[in-house]
Amino acid sequence: MEEKPFDASLGSPGSKISSPDTEVRNLWTEATLSQSKLNVPNACEDTDLEGSSVSSKTPHQRYNGKAGHDLNSGSLAWDDGDDQDNFKQEELDDHDHSLLELELRQGSSQGSHLEERDVDSKTESEISSSESLLNISNYAAHEAYWVEQQNRLPLPLMELMENEVLEILTEALQSYRSAIGWDHFLTKQLRESVKGLKRRQSKRLHL
Amino acid sequence: MKLKEGSFLWYLYLDKLYCLLSVRNVKVLVEYFHLLDVHHNNTLNDVLFYHFLRHVTKWNRSQITIVFNMLDWKAVGEIGFDQFYMLVCILLAQQNHLEEQFIFRHSRPVFELLDLEGQLRIGPENFHMYNFLFNIRNQELRELYHDFDITGDRYLNYKEFKLFTIFTWDKYQERQKAKKEKEEEKRKENEEKALFKKKRLSQINVSLSLI
Repeated sequence: MEEKPFDASLGSPGSKISSPDTEVRNLWTEATLSQSKLNVPNACEDTDLEGSSVSSKTPHQRYNGKAGHDLNSGSLAWDDGDDQDNFKQEELDDHDHSLLELELRQGSSQGSHLEERDVDSKTESEISSSESLLNISNYAAHEAYWVEQQNRLPLPLMELMENEVLEILTEALQSYRSAIGWDHFLTKQLRESVKGLKRRQSKRLHL
Repeated sequence: MKLKEGSFLWYLYLDKLYCLLSVRNVKVLVEYFHLLDVHHNNTLNDVLFYHFLRHVTKWNRSQITIVFNMLDWKAVGEIGFDQFYMLVCILLAQQNHLEEQFIFRHSRPVFELLDLEGQLRIGPENFHMYNFLFNIRNQELRELYHDFDITGDRYLNYKEFKLFTIFTWDKYQERQKAKKEKEEEKRKENEEKALFKKKRLSQINVSLSLI
């Protein structure tokens, strides 16, 4: 057979999968950094930068981190990439929309305060700027939170998957032991995986 | 073939039009695959593959070996995620009785899977070998070779196979339509019977009240 029927690929065998955790951690770092900024115009810029970095990261973050794991193009080859394009576009649209909302809210809150009271305009603007700063920092923290949540699979599903895989691997371990022996490095690797899954299972049961 | 109820795959579903998994389902399947990939090669060897299929299906050893050899199209002795995805789609198509639609939608990949030797044609022995996967009945197989072997060489090339999938898909749709119409007729009949019974009862009640 010359052509591969399906073009989904996780990259070459042996290549490592980068964790989306590091990228989510970066988001959290940016969120906490934005809280320390006091200047409103600068904070606005930071939000834009964060937004653009999040929007550029999120589609990749969803399935893989680095090149070599092009699951997006591969698994959706049969869909002609429609789902992924729509998904990416929706993500960017949602993000842009929320950023726009924030800026409008900020602008309108500032605008309404200045129009109503001319005498206390300075203190009003100070209050609104601190409010908007809080909003920005909250928004940034929430953004990171939601991105993290969206990357995780539901816990019951993870539990189901891990329990099933544990049963499969326990049976496979018997086959490994009888075929290649207990001391073979492949058997050791499998044994470690089984131990790890059992540990996670017992943690869940004891919680 | 039925997937084990309550197993992880049992919860997945195919898009009924394109017979593919949704993006969300693929994401979940990737995680599942990585849990099975204990050697961190992005592949499953034959032992892991065998135990996986033993756990989720009722296939015997020889059937699982046939499936493994079919999917190991690079002949490396391991199954990557592409092949794993393909297998899951086939399993789910069987589970949900979407075999005809699956073969129609993905005729090229299915043809290439059946063409084990890469001859760009498939013979009746290929179909027999994979009968348990695609559920092609013997009667259909005879019709297949009788009606679609245009070249007359007792093998089907891709074009002939494609014609077969289109024909099978049309037949399947007609069967579904006929089934729906029958169900609709039965429902109407039952409704009419129920209505007639009601009328009779009311008539009896009226006559009893007159007495």
